[in-house]
Amino acid sequence: MPLVSALAASHAPNILLEPGAEWEDFMNLHYSMAPQGSATRPTLEQQKKLRKDAEAAFAVLRADMEQAKPDVLIVVANDQFVNFFCNNVPTFFVTLADEVKGQFTRHKFQYRNHKELGRAILRKGMKQGIDFSFGEHIELQHTQVVPLYFLLPEAKIPILPIYVNTWVDPAPTPGRCYKVGELIREVADDSKERVAILATGGLSHFPGSPRIGEIDTQFDHQLLEVMRQGKGRSLVDTSVEDLLKAGDSEFLNWMVVVGSVGDAKAAYTSYMPDLVATGWGFVSWKL
Amino acid sequence: MSCYHLSRLLFDLKMNESRVKQAQTDFEGVMSEYDLTGEEKAALRAGDPRKLRQLGVHGMLCLYIKRLHPEFRDNIYWNQK
Repeated sequence: MPLVSALAASHAPNILLEPGAEWEDFMNLHYSMAPQGSATRPTLEQQKKLRKDAEAAFAVLRADMEQAKPDVLIVVANDQFVNFFCNNVPTFFVTLADEVKGQFTRHKFQYRNHKELGRAILRKGMKQGIDFSFGEHIELQHTQVVPLYFLLPEAKIPILPIYVNTWVDPAPTPGRCYKVGELIREVADDSKERVAILATGGLSHFPGSPRIGEIDTQFDHQLLEVMRQGKGRSLVDTSVEDLLKAGDSEFLNWMVVVGSVGDAKAAYTSYMPDLVATGWGFVSWKL
Repeated sequence: MSCYHLSRLLFDLKMNESRVKQAQTDFEGVMSEYDLTGEEKAALRAGDPRKLRQLGVHGMLCLYIKRLHPEFRDNIYWNQK
């Protein structure tokens, strides 16, 4: 089966935090890095509207994915010092656990992990010169569960978390991430199951930086336009430095999905700067 | 110069709840268990994530020093990873 559905969505924690006190906590903490960043704090009404708009975008992505009837959902995300630390930072990591769990405030998540698909990706990678790291245990964090809360709230199908290091210098190039996506598509082509893929993260934001609060909306809109035109291949020569400059390092997760869809045009895009830190982006490709 | 041990302490404040509790009552004792320079200890005592970042720690790890600040002790952010 070829890939049947491809999605990309932001994973910013405040998407799932409740507007009001929880958002205030989130902002107070992040703005401790740069007090001037709080200049554009959204009102409660703005927070509620952002949540509603994000729910509407996720609803489109979920409907597209469900219509494709996938047997498994690959989730491409970055670890943020939960499973990996400075003693060992894998560039690409495939999960071989039986099941995966995580918690986000009062929300608990538990999914079967499709380790057979993981092994197939690992083996294909070994043959083609992409040597993934792998392991039998990971803990899910907001980089996966924020989108999963909206897209796969009931664990009807297994997932397969794949990690990209977008977090610790040096990160892989966009071109390398694109190749990983091509490889995943080849594995899906060889599979008897219907495979969906989701990239998470971004878009522009500067967490843990004095630039917190800045959002490069122009750069984000350029990326979304490229995906609408089906010209993701044109991004392979983008430098990591250019992504970092725009606060878009997590677009490296998206580049895996961009590589997996090739020249397919995105059927749906939605974008909303959250007035806090992040340009929230949502994309669906109907394959 | 590597700031591995400083980063490790902040990583533990993210991932190890018993370490957090210990640090809330005896931070000097916790710091003594890590291979830290005087400058690093001073930055930790100051409790300012911006100072930790200047020493080379990843910005998102720096925020975890705030777990020890009374004003941030019940912040919702610590209830997710």
